[in-house]
Amino acid sequence: MITLRGLTKRFGATVAVDALTVDIAPGRVTGFLGPNGAGKSTTMRMILGLDRPTAGTALVHGRSYRELRRPLHEVGALLDARAIHPTRSGRAHLLAMARSNGIPTRRVDEVLDTVGLDGRAAGKPGRTLSLGMGQRLGIAGALLGDPPVLMFDEPVNGLDPDGVRWVRQLLRSLAGQGRTVFVSSHLMSEMQLTADQLVVIGRGRLLADAPVGDVIAGSGLAVRVRSPHPDGLATLAARLAAHGATVEPAGPDELTVTGTTVDRIGDLAYELGVRLHELSPHGASLEQAFMELTADSVEYAGGPTGGDAR
Amino acid sequence: MSTQTMVGSSPTAAPAVSAAAAFRAAVAAEWTKLVSVRSTWWTMLAGLLLMAASAGQLAIYAANANTNDDPADDPGIVAVGSVLIDAVELTQYAVLALGLLAVTTEFTSGTIRTTLQCTPARGRVLLAKAVVAGAVTFVLGLLLGGVGALVARPVLGDWGSAPTAGTIGDIVAVATYLALVSVLALGLGAALRSAVLTIVVLFATLMIVPLSLQEPDITVLNRIADAFPGVAGGHFMAGDTEPYPGAVGLLVLAGWAGAALLLGRTALRRRDA
Repeated sequence: MITLRGLTKRFGATVAVDALTVDIAPGRVTGFLGPNGAGKSTTMRMILGLDRPTAGTALVHGRSYRELRRPLHEVGALLDARAIHPTRSGRAHLLAMARSNGIPTRRVDEVLDTVGLDGRAAGKPGRTLSLGMGQRLGIAGALLGDPPVLMFDEPVNGLDPDGVRWVRQLLRSLAGQGRTVFVSSHLMSEMQLTADQLVVIGRGRLLADAPVGDVIAGSGLAVRVRSPHPDGLATLAARLAAHGATVEPAGPDELTVTGTTVDRIGDLAYELGVRLHELSPHGASLEQAFMELTADSVEYAGGPTGGDAR
Repeated sequence: MSTQTMVGSSPTAAPAVSAAAAFRAAVAAEWTKLVSVRSTWWTMLAGLLLMAASAGQLAIYAANANTNDDPADDPGIVAVGSVLIDAVELTQYAVLALGLLAVTTEFTSGTIRTTLQCTPARGRVLLAKAVVAGAVTFVLGLLLGGVGALVARPVLGDWGSAPTAGTIGDIVAVATYLALVSVLALGLGAALRSAVLTIVVLFATLMIVPLSLQEPDITVLNRIADAFPGVAGGHFMAGDTEPYPGAVGLLVLAGWAGAALLLGRTALRRRDA
């Protein structure tokens, strides 16, 4: 269980995290979504006691991270896959981590095996590791202390499709064992497949904290309307717009309508005598829900792509 | 790659750990980190080469500067230990790089976050680093002293002396000085985070500023220079009685190292990693 209460971080005049109050519960995968610069990484760093909150608290099992003597047994985290000394081998990196928390050397080889790094890859110096290998090494480090709470910052960055699927299964399995799994991502489609619960933030503020299904359902439903009569379709579009719906032409014989229901569109078409060949609700995607939630809080022009800067 | 085999079936509470055990674990981790990077071995090699070269050169100067034709006249005889102590002035920069890099590379590579994730107590991390760097540089200092003595003695020839007890005492003093200076470098590195900035500050503190103060030979300025770590360490190694006993020089140097560690701890606690 991770408990955030009024968690706030300011860097000068910039508010990176703004009064975030969330509980991240055990036994499920909680996805942490937000556009670039939304404050995801900063939040994770504050949970780990790396950044000091300007206000509020971040507790793990009711305790502040800085109080923990053997924290790897309680919280495992992957923050930055590139953070390894250029001439230190991946195995020595893990070995130092293990020793700092009284974890036996045998466990280092176990987690290396778990993440699929063989002796040769683990013996290579840090600067020669690919991003994907760095991610696997970072995940191995998070698993080292067999902790009940796990955090991953963009864990699938740099992984091939096989690796992405593997991470998905790993996260699900960790949550299945009753652990708290908190994973940030900018890949909405990935979260749709992996997460049970979603915490969405924009400009440091909490935008949503709900089960994935609810977040998707809460988004505006889009309806596709197709007709063989362009004139009739134009009339229908005008009437729909007059009723407050948002209408976008999707082709010469097709409209995408949001802000109303399938029933209402059907009724209007009947009243106007417009023949329809299709009237279908689009399954809303998490991607779309996310875009709507964060539309007002995108930090950088160009939209939410790519990982956080830090 | 089954996930079932690698993690326990249910999360368990962490066992209670004493502060002493946590500190021992932090020391073990720092040792593992120090010996697993190439720069450690390079700085050691650089230290050895610098010591051999400086000791040899200074011994040549000592032998050549001696205009007295009769070595039996004693006043011209130079102890090997004093050559070592002079050679340390240059050699120390390779040795303190070891302490410095143990902390500044953590900031440049980003591993400081991993380190603090493993050991969140800032004071514990820094003290563990200081213990490891101090111990390693002390042993290295003994080795350097031995190498320097082996190089200087034959070069000095008739103009040198190497009384066993005195030379061993000088070698231990050199090793102690180097250990404390590397801890000083480590503490400053934690406060300043940048290797270049730290080396500049160290160079000024150990050499430039005290030399400038001593230049005009004004008593007040000389006394101020005596409070600087390099000068204090010099008085300690030389076993001076003026302006203060050698033991006071050791305390002054240790005080600088301790103050640097406190400064580093404060910086680690206050600043975001």
